[in-house]
Amino acid sequence: MIRFKNITKTFGSVVALKDISFEIEKGEFVFITGPSGSGKTTILKLILKEILPDSGKISFGTQDIEKISDKELPLYRRKIGCVFQDFKVLPEKTVRENIQIALAAIGVPEDKWEKRIDEVLKASGIEKRADFFPSQLSGGELQRVSFARALAVKPELILADEPTGNLDWDTAEEMMDLFEKISKEGITVIMATHNSWIIDKMKKREIRLKEGKVVKG
Amino acid sequence: MNFHLKTALSSLRRSPFQALAAIFVLTITFFVGTAFSVLIYSSSQVLSYFETRPQVIAFLKDGSGVEAIVSLQHKLSADIRIKDVRYVSKEEALSIYKDATSDNPLLSELVSPSIFPASLEFSLSNLSFAQDVIKEMKSEDLVESVGFTASLGGEKTLQDVVSRLRKVTYYIRLGGGIFAGVLLGTSFTVLMIIISMRMIGRKDEVEILKLIGAKSGFIRSPIIIEAVMYSLMGVFIGWLLTLILVLYLAPWIISYFGQIPVLPKEPSAFFALFGIILSAEILMGVLLALGGSNLALTRARRKK
Repeated sequence: MIRFKNITKTFGSVVALKDISFEIEKGEFVFITGPSGSGKTTILKLILKEILPDSGKISFGTQDIEKISDKELPLYRRKIGCVFQDFKVLPEKTVRENIQIALAAIGVPEDKWEKRIDEVLKASGIEKRADFFPSQLSGGELQRVSFARALAVKPELILADEPTGNLDWDTAEEMMDLFEKISKEGITVIMATHNSWIIDKMKKREIRLKEGKVVKG
Repeated sequence: MNFHLKTALSSLRRSPFQALAAIFVLTITFFVGTAFSVLIYSSSQVLSYFETRPQVIAFLKDGSGVEAIVSLQHKLSADIRIKDVRYVSKEEALSIYKDATSDNPLLSELVSPSIFPASLEFSLSNLSFAQDVIKEMKSEDLVESVGFTASLGGEKTLQDVVSRLRKVTYYIRLGGGIFAGVLLGTSFTVLMIIISMRMIGRKDEVEILKLIGAKSGFIRSPIIIEAVMYSLMGVFIGWLLTLILVLYLAPWIISYFGQIPVLPKEPSAFFALFGIILSAEILMGVLLALGGSNLALTRARRKK
């Protein structure tokens, strides 16, 4: 599903990724691990086409990411759900509205919103917080909102950047259960993390980076 | 309610002072714009009134035959330079004289219709034809002499009055245009600054929306709708304030200017005038909002 072939990315004189190649199959659950600055987030940004590689080729299915035009980019990104360490929920909107905006953005008809919102809130375990504002929620609940929003757009792939970074162990474990569950439903999950406890517990494929190179995976 | 409209309204509620600043500036612009539009209309009406009032009186020779007079009247009526041709008989001339001297009955007692000549009065479609028309009238066999109405406010001829009015009208249009232009420019800048501030405030939201696959139209729509809302509110409040002011002053304006129709007399015509102004201002307001918001959005995108 995702194929990185000889990817190099530099930021000025800093080499973030150095000639890396890997493939991720559809429905796979993959951890991208490594210390800070090893290039984990760069990989996620490359998949989202937030940045472009200096050399090499990235494919999503049969699509060459570099060839996606600015006009086609929103349509491409609709295949991807994102979960962030800092949640990135809109603070002035309720949980329900945060998901509504995602559905509106991808053009889901308004009459289908409520059903979909109820489904993802239930799947994320925050159905009782639907009308709460982010300031009224805990870190774990905020991460569930972020997860529910990512799920709402029915993505083929979920990118999670340190989703447990701001959570305590118990909450992190609950979040991982949610990721595991959607992975079993056939959604590909790529998670950047340096939480070795989670990697050990989940026993999934790991692409380990060190100084911009793949050292395992 | 439309999703973008809801987002725009919630943004307006979130930063009410920015919204008020934008609406206030736009209100002043369109208040002045409406007032100047009415002023331009009124000055044009005053000019037109003086340009079209009876200006030339051809005094007819005593003993002119009815057929000859009617023939001359028809000839004048067919001339495109000439309007509102009217025959004034000796009796009517006496009656006009009596009216004019009603404060001194002795003067009217001393005269009889026979001393007043019959005349043909008419106005000109444009005062520039005056010289030629008067010359032609003087050459007519029936015509004894030709009078040209004059003296108003000390000017030597009506042409002086009209030329002075033309100047005044020109300066009203020019001054009004420049003033309205400056205000429109200010409104445009204020609108652009406020939209730019909105963009900065929505930076995180825009980033999230882009990541979840929102098209640029989806991201821009609430911003543009918000700008259009400010503009329309400014247009409507500014227009309404002028309407109320003109309605309040209308009795005084009408009595001061007397016969000169500075404002439409019929309510339907009056409201039609304001309706036309409102329509033009709505169009201008929407263009202003679209221009300002698009420029702000383009600048925000370039800065990225």
